[in-house]
Amino acid sequence: MKRLIIFSGTLLLAAAVFAFNIVSPLWKIGDKYNVSFSSNEVGGIFKVFKGTINFDEANLAVSNFDVTVDVASIQTGNALQNKHAKSDEWFDAAKYPVIHYVSKKIVKAGAGYQVTGDLEIHGVKKEFTIPFNFVKKGAGATFAGTFKVNRNDFHIGKPGGDVSDVIKVEIAVPVTK
Amino acid sequence: MLKKLLILAVVSGILAAVASLVYQKVYAESLGDGFKNIISLQKIFVACIGANIVAAIGYFLLSKVLKGHTEAVFNILFAVITIATIVYPIGYKLPLDVEMPELFPGLAIPMHFFPVLGWMTLKPLFAKNI
Repeated sequence: MKRLIIFSGTLLLAAAVFAFNIVSPLWKIGDKYNVSFSSNEVGGIFKVFKGTINFDEANLAVSNFDVTVDVASIQTGNALQNKHAKSDEWFDAAKYPVIHYVSKKIVKAGAGYQVTGDLEIHGVKKEFTIPFNFVKKGAGATFAGTFKVNRNDFHIGKPGGDVSDVIKVEIAVPVTK
Repeated sequence: MLKKLLILAVVSGILAAVASLVYQKVYAESLGDGFKNIISLQKIFVACIGANIVAAIGYFLLSKVLKGHTEAVFNILFAVITIATIVYPIGYKLPLDVEMPELFPGLAIPMHFFPVLGWMTLKPLFAKNI
């Protein structure tokens, strides 16, 4: 009986250690995130950003992101542009209400990291790599990344025209545990 | 003549500014946002008085050319230019932290008409013989 208890205890402890190692920490997204986009002609932000962020610098293999941006929360500072951006000519917010990104792989890249995953915008899903930095500060941290998206890859708007094909996107997400 | 026109411009500009402020207050109370950070009291007075001073100078210059038809032509021009200026608030880019930018044109567009209304309202009183 004593042996059984010791064996069970050891097994439980081993399972707990194993579980701790394979589950990376879940970060809670703070309120003061920034998801902005800009080109020469237009610029703005998306006001609603949600999702789950599991990230451990020491264990990238089990780290993962699954985040969404509400298309209808687009804010360009101009009502007419907002309406236009949400229309079927551009994002078609009624049919494709979210921009969705699910990570597949996170690797170290220089001083920062690179996440590769599936980016789905306007009903078009493509593999997309985003470079980002992870800066810890006290109990929290901030994920920050800047990258470019070619809107034609996702059939957003017509190619050419007044708005640049390549749009710069900046993301800064403060997180806490 | 120019002096009378400038007095008319300043007084009708002040009237337009007061009307704009009253409208802004009513708008803010009924719809929740008067955009006071963007359309400040100072900007309202400068825009209303400035617009009517430009109008006064325009009227003066037109009167040198058109003689007897000045008022009719000027009124049409002033109204047309005023209507054309509504493009500005429609295309205006507000700060990104503004919650409801769609409410902005509804506030700013009517304000664009107050200087011309002030001018046409007070002209018979201030500068009847011009």
